Amino acid sequence: MNKFFGITLIVIAIAIAVVPAFTDCQSQGKALTTASGKEIPMKCHWSGIAEIGVAVPLAMVGVMAVAIRRKQSLMSMGILGVALGGLAIAFPAGLIGVCQTPTMICHTVMQPTLVSLGSVAIIGSLGIILASRKVKD
Amino acid sequence: MQLFRLAFKNIRGSGFRSIAIFLAVMGVAGFLLMTTIIIAGARYSLDTGLERLGADILVVPKGTEVKIESALLMGKPVDAWMPRSNLEKIAAIPGVVAASPQIYLMSMFDSPCCAVSEMFMVVYDPDTDFTIAPWLEKNLGRSLAPGEVIGGTYVFVPEGEEYITLYGYDTDLVGTLEPTGTGLDQTLFMAMDTALEMSRLSVTAALMTLNVNPDLISVIMVKVDPEVDPHRVAIDIRQNTEGMTPLESPDLFGMFRSQMNGLLWGFFAITLIVWAVTMILIGIVFSMAANERRREMAVLRAVGATRNFIFRSVLIEAALLGLGGAVMGIALASAVLYIFQDMIAGSLQMPFLFPSIPAFVSMFSAGVILAILTVTAAALIPAFRLSRQELAIAMRE
Repeated sequence: MNKFFGITLIVIAIAIAVVPAFTDCQSQGKALTTASGKEIPMKCHWSGIAEIGVAVPLAMVGVMAVAIRRKQSLMSMGILGVALGGLAIAFPAGLIGVCQTPTMICHTVMQPTLVSLGSVAIIGSLGIILASRKVKD
Repeated sequence: MQLFRLAFKNIRGSGFRSIAIFLAVMGVAGFLLMTTIIIAGARYSLDTGLERLGADILVVPKGTEVKIESALLMGKPVDAWMPRSNLEKIAAIPGVVAASPQIYLMSMFDSPCCAVSEMFMVVYDPDTDFTIAPWLEKNLGRSLAPGEVIGGTYVFVPEGEEYITLYGYDTDLVGTLEPTGTGLDQTLFMAMDTALEMSRLSVTAALMTLNVNPDLISVIMVKVDPEVDPHRVAIDIRQNTEGMTPLESPDLFGMFRSQMNGLLWGFFAITLIVWAVTMILIGIVFSMAANERRREMAVLRAVGATRNFIFRSVLIEAALLGLGGAVMGIALASAVLYIFQDMIAGSLQMPFLFPSIPAFVSMFSAGVILAILTVTAAALIPAFRLSRQELAIAMRE
């Protein structure tokens, strides 16, 4: 069962890393223009970058869940996965956020998709914790 | 209790069949609830929008009915004008308790101030207004001062700034209206003196001049005496005035409502057909399972189980699968719809507001009850056949 949850986490991690690249405002050619005329990325872009930082360790958790056989280690991986899933939700939802305009793609697509993926990551990680209870050391 | 234990064991014992039924119920129940919520959400949004308008009749310049409807529905700015003198003609119609003018303006295109590329701006007359005034009285306890505005839920002050700058004029957003899911969410409301000052300043401070002529208005909001039929008043307006069309509040967005109903009821009908086909398939699955379990049930009968016990155990198994699948499917569909509501409403090009909690709970419960009843009904014939089989024949097979 842990293999199933581990592979799920790897897939989710890849999606978390890739989704913002196609759904942030920068991907739609939108940027902020400063008074000096320089274009800088909008807030949602930085949320997307931060998500890569979440996705890499989450993928590692997935790999470990597939490879590891020890009960305590699996449980630790599960707890770490729950925390990373929470962070995947927290970056676009509050810690960094997305653009203010409710009609922008980062608001309508990127944020809800990342919230959904983060939720699935949490559920998958809880699955690892539950499944690890049946593992015999 | 024994019945439930037996049903649970049967579900666990035939994993593949149970998962197939569970997933089928989950899929159709989720899809059915999704279409129901979209229909209910669109209606709720339109009704909330009409309530926000607060007028029994909208009198608009002749020929601009569709444009004004889409302005209110989708927040698209509109260019509609008629002489202010029309206000006196409307106020003189018998049955009209109050008549208040509004002017519809638009922000500059792609202005950084606004949530949308062209923001819809409504100018009202504080002396006669009865649509915004009750909200202001309730939430601010006063009317708007010069330079103050209120906006729909999509209107906000840009990050790092204190005011919303429109045509070079700084406006102070002092209140945000509750969401309606319609164009009113991206509408900014201001009093006439603010609009006139903005217009005056735009000549020197903005790239584009804002023209506000106090002698021209866009619509007249009409409140009808509660004891008089609004339809009668609308007919009087149509017969006794020229260049104006009355739009009765219940008929507003009528064309959109009929288009939306056609589309969504089509979806609903397809879902019901899929539901019916799924239930027939579930019935067939139960029939096949019943054939496989003839000996198992005969053994149960031989150790003392009654026909009624066998009958009920099969039905409870079906009901449990229906309950689990429906709860999971509906919960998942609701979560997806809630999280992606902006995207779904945007792609369907329709107003949408997630239904109120009591309405949602009743839809959720109705979906679960429907699933339990139909899945149980699908298992009725196989359960009956299993319970009525001859013990000796079944044991010998």
